[in-house]
Amino acid sequence: MTRKLKLFFIFLTICIVLISCSKFQKPGLSEDFLMGTVIMQKVYGKNADQAIKAVNKKIADIERLMTINAPGGDVNKINEFAGRELVKVDKDTLYVLKKAWEFSNLSRGTFDVTVGKVVKMWGIFTDNPRVPNVSEIIDALGFINYNDIIIDESKSMVGLKTNGQVIDLGAIAKGFAGDEAIRLYKEYGIKSAFVNLGGNVVVLGNKPDGSPWRIGIQNPQTQQNDYIGIINVSDKAVVTSGDYERYFEKEGKRYHHIIDPKTGYPSDSDLMSSTIVTELSVDADALSTATFVMGLDKALAFVESLDNVEGIFITKENKIYVTHGLKDNFVFEDESKVFEYVEKR
Amino acid sequence: MLKKGDIILLIFLLVISVLVYIGYFTYKSGRDDYAKVAIISHEGKVIRKVDLDSVAEPIMFDIEGEYKNTILIEKGRIRVLESNCPDRVCVNTSWLDKIGDLAVCIPNRFIIKIEGEPEKVDGVTY
Repeated sequence: MTRKLKLFFIFLTICIVLISCSKFQKPGLSEDFLMGTVIMQKVYGKNADQAIKAVNKKIADIERLMTINAPGGDVNKINEFAGRELVKVDKDTLYVLKKAWEFSNLSRGTFDVTVGKVVKMWGIFTDNPRVPNVSEIIDALGFINYNDIIIDESKSMVGLKTNGQVIDLGAIAKGFAGDEAIRLYKEYGIKSAFVNLGGNVVVLGNKPDGSPWRIGIQNPQTQQNDYIGIINVSDKAVVTSGDYERYFEKEGKRYHHIIDPKTGYPSDSDLMSSTIVTELSVDADALSTATFVMGLDKALAFVESLDNVEGIFITKENKIYVTHGLKDNFVFEDESKVFEYVEKR
Repeated sequence: MLKKGDIILLIFLLVISVLVYIGYFTYKSGRDDYAKVAIISHEGKVIRKVDLDSVAEPIMFDIEGEYKNTILIEKGRIRVLESNCPDRVCVNTSWLDKIGDLAVCIPNRFIIKIEGEPEKVDGVTY
């Protein structure tokens, strides 16, 4: 009898092992409201739940350091002491500011984190957005200049040249958070994970069945669950900037949330959306904003000039352009039948 | 040494384990492929699960938080009908009817999701 019992337990164990070790394993899932958006994680592996928790904690830390929509943190401190003194910042803040400067310089100021004063003026992301008058904007434009960010790397100190200048990391901090998520997944021994930070998708490895992750590119004419094409990626960040994401309307005119640092108004290029695919999501985040502001021609030339960076651009005329390196990957699939995929130009 | 009875038991258990194994995945993939279950969560907590295909009469209810969202469920689909939040992205998202579809209200911190493995894409960049 005891032997039969033993056999029974052996088989029970086999049963359980078969089920739990299967490639159909259930992922750890989480949805959290952080950094003014929703962070969705899908993580495979035995430490998935701990990894998810660690990522949420890290993102909350990044938000505290880099927000200007709540008091405290490094960026508020830098802004408060602008034109007066350098302030000591966390190594993460230092890294993001260096990245921000690098991409501002690379994009010749079409991306510029010192745009903060103008962003605040528009009340973007607040309950009371407004259209500032022209003289206000012209005055505020004088405070935008990424070269006024002073970085003393050895002392981990940062400052701004002129009192009244405002750094806003809104177009890059979420990108950094995506890279940190991937770093933490790896630390927890995770081989397969997906994280979506308010539209910024970052994936680790392949899906558990070995196939790449299939990422849809949002249809920029709608906020519905609708995409215009699909790309297959592994170990990549896919980040989109578009005029449809957040906007407000005043007197029949629509104002979206991406401010052109050169004009002080919502970017008015010929693009409706700009998607960047590259290794680091911090890079993708900055580059998607920069290319969106540049417009199609400059964006294509700019992205083609960079190594390991690809892009998908959708114009206001509903035309879709894809950089060379993505041509074989991008699958045009438009259920709305509104868009045209321009393969050769 | 194994007796005859032991061998019978062995075979019996082996058959049972295989059946359980097959049954588990038939059940699981059956759910993922066919059942459209909408999960409504507020502040990260699931507040309601609805099998959309089993909805006969339309259901309407409110989610109250910092703002108020009105949810409408019909057979096979769900949407945010009305919201007093500032950006109204949740309302603009319109109907959710496919596995993986998602509506988010960031101001009111709530999510509607149709659970399961989506057929065509694993996620969408926006």
